[in-house]
Formats: sequence, structure tokens, C-alpha cells
Amino acid sequence: MVGVLCVNSYREFLVEEENIIKGLQAGKEPAFRELVGTYQQMVVNTCFGMVHNKEDAEDLAQEVFIEVYRSVPAFRSDSKLSTWVYRIAVNKSLNYLRDRKRKGFRFSGESISGAGTSLSNLADEKSSRPGAGLEEAQRAALLYKAIDGLSEKQKTAFTLNKYEELSYKEIANVMELSLSSVESLIHRAKKNLQKKLYACYKKRCI
Amino acid sequence: MKCKTVHKKIIFYLEGSLPENEMKKVQGHLQECSACLSFAKDLESTLAIIEKERYPEVNPYFYTRVRAGLENREPEQLQKKPALIRILQPALFAMILLLGIYSGFKIGKVPFNDSDVQASEMEIVPYLNEMASEPIESFLME
Repeated sequence: MVGVLCVNSYREFLVEEENIIKGLQAGKEPAFRELVGTYQQMVVNTCFGMVHNKEDAEDLAQEVFIEVYRSVPAFRSDSKLSTWVYRIAVNKSLNYLRDRKRKGFRFSGESISGAGTSLSNLADEKSSRPGAGLEEAQRAALLYKAIDGLSEKQKTAFTLNKYEELSYKEIANVMELSLSSVESLIHRAKKNLQKKLYACYKKRCI
Repeated sequence: MKCKTVHKKIIFYLEGSLPENEMKKVQGHLQECSACLSFAKDLESTLAIIEKERYPEVNPYFYTRVRAGLENREPEQLQKKPALIRILQPALFAMILLLGIYSGFKIGKVPFNDSDVQASEMEIVPYLNEMASEPIESFLME
């Protein structure tokens, strides 16, 4: 009974996706509104997992929806709409991070095992997380730094898994990789993260 | 189990993704080793940040912002010329330029013929050579 309900809800979901795509391709405003309403949280959350800043994540999410609106005539339904939207969100976030790195904005190559959290980073974290205690803000800053220290692929796979709770198969579809590659990426990401955080723990960063 | 081995497995232990026998070994070690237990607790608190941060509250005016962003960029898109015009226009200008150069050569080409040159000299000289039209002797006589 539960299985039948799941299959039915999945079919409804696919029909809904198809209606959104058809509406968007016909240039209908309600379809775009529905798209934004359906995927807004998911896109903002994914971007936030990648850039760790709410304002930047919202700006990126806005760019993602504009890109979806512009590219939807070329969308051929080879993958699910949500997979395609995730892919655009990840690519936009990675491009943003590359640009920021090129401009030398914010983290200036300081290692996680180094001198700990700089005051400016901490101030940033505090302002973007009002109400959070100093220790929590410090912890968040260290965690974000450790995640940022991962390779692009490891970071993307880890973020999609932890922030969006996507299955390995869904991540493989988004990243256009094999299932075993995703498993390996996430395993290595967790090991690297643990190593970085242990180094910090030993130096009593917090 | 050694502390070093446990440190490599704590994140997987916290997730509960280790095989059952390894879970028991790590758990047994943590009950005995306070240093590893302390790190496990620290790691758990740090990773818990992800749970707390997940799904940030979204701006209620988000759709309005997206719509405005889209409208601001649509005129830019309209200003873009179609691909055919973008290719044809420079090609047309290049053709006009080449045609101009070619016709310039054609018009400016002087026929290289001695008799023609002499004839043309004779046509021009009378106007320039006053001696021919008015000899110096007749001038002095006057």
C-alpha cells in the first residue's frame, strides 16, 4: 500500500515537473512563479552550503533562476528538472567561488591548522548568524574553512549529501559522475574534513 | 584499537556507517579513552552546525527580486542582434571595402604608353610653356 502511494506521488511529481517545463517553454509567468516557489529553498540551501553566506546564497539563487528561465527552451528532459536546477546552482556557486578566489577576497590562503579563525572571518560569521554564541560562531567558521579546504568535487559531493541530503545516485546524476566516483569522493571528503578538524582540535582553535 | 586508528574512523562512527564489529570496537575504545571521547564530542558539535544551518529562512520577496532581475536583463537580450545579421553585416562591409579598393585601382590606373604620354604632354605644354606661344625675339622687338 505504501509502495503504491509512493509510486503515485512520484508520478504526480513528474507530471508537475512536466507542466512546469511546458509552461516555461511557452513563456508563461505562472509556470515561472511555480518553479521559483518549488525550488527556491533547495537552490538557496545548495548555494548556502557552497558559499556559507546567506546574502551571497540568495544572490546566486537569483542568478540560477534567471539562467533556468533563459535556458529552458533548450532543456530536452534528458534529466529531471530538479537535477538540472541543482547542476546550475552548483556551477554558479563554483564560478562565484573561483572569481572570489581570483580576486583574493576573504580567505587569504590561511590553513585550517594554522593560527585559527581570523577576527574578520569571525565577525562575518557572527553578523551572518545573529543570535549564535561566540563558540558556535567559531565552530561554524572552522567548519566552513575546513569544507572550503576540500577539492571542488569533494566539496560539491559533500555539500549535496549533507545540506540537501541527496542520495549518492542523485549526486552522481547532478555531477555527471559514476556512482563509485561519488562514493569515493564523499568518503575522502569526510576523511579530509576529520583530519583538518582534528588538527584544529589538537591546537585548541576553539 | 589504537587512538590513531580511532581518529580516522570517528566521523564514520558518529554517522553510524561503520560495520557492526568496528562500531563496537570504536565504542569500546571511547569508553576507555577520555582524549578520544573528547575529540568525538568536539567533532559531533562541529558537524551539528550543518544541521542547524540547513535550510536558511528565505527572503519573502525573493520572487519579486528574481522577476526584477529578469526584467532588467531582458532589454539587454533584445538589443542583441540575430546571428545572421551579426555575420552578414561585417561580410557586407568587407565586400564594400574590397570593391572600393578595386574600383580605386581601376580608375587610377594610367595607361603606360609613350605616344600617349607625349601626346598628353603636347596638350599640356602650350599652356605652361610661354616661350612656345611667345618667342623671346618678338618680345624683345616689341
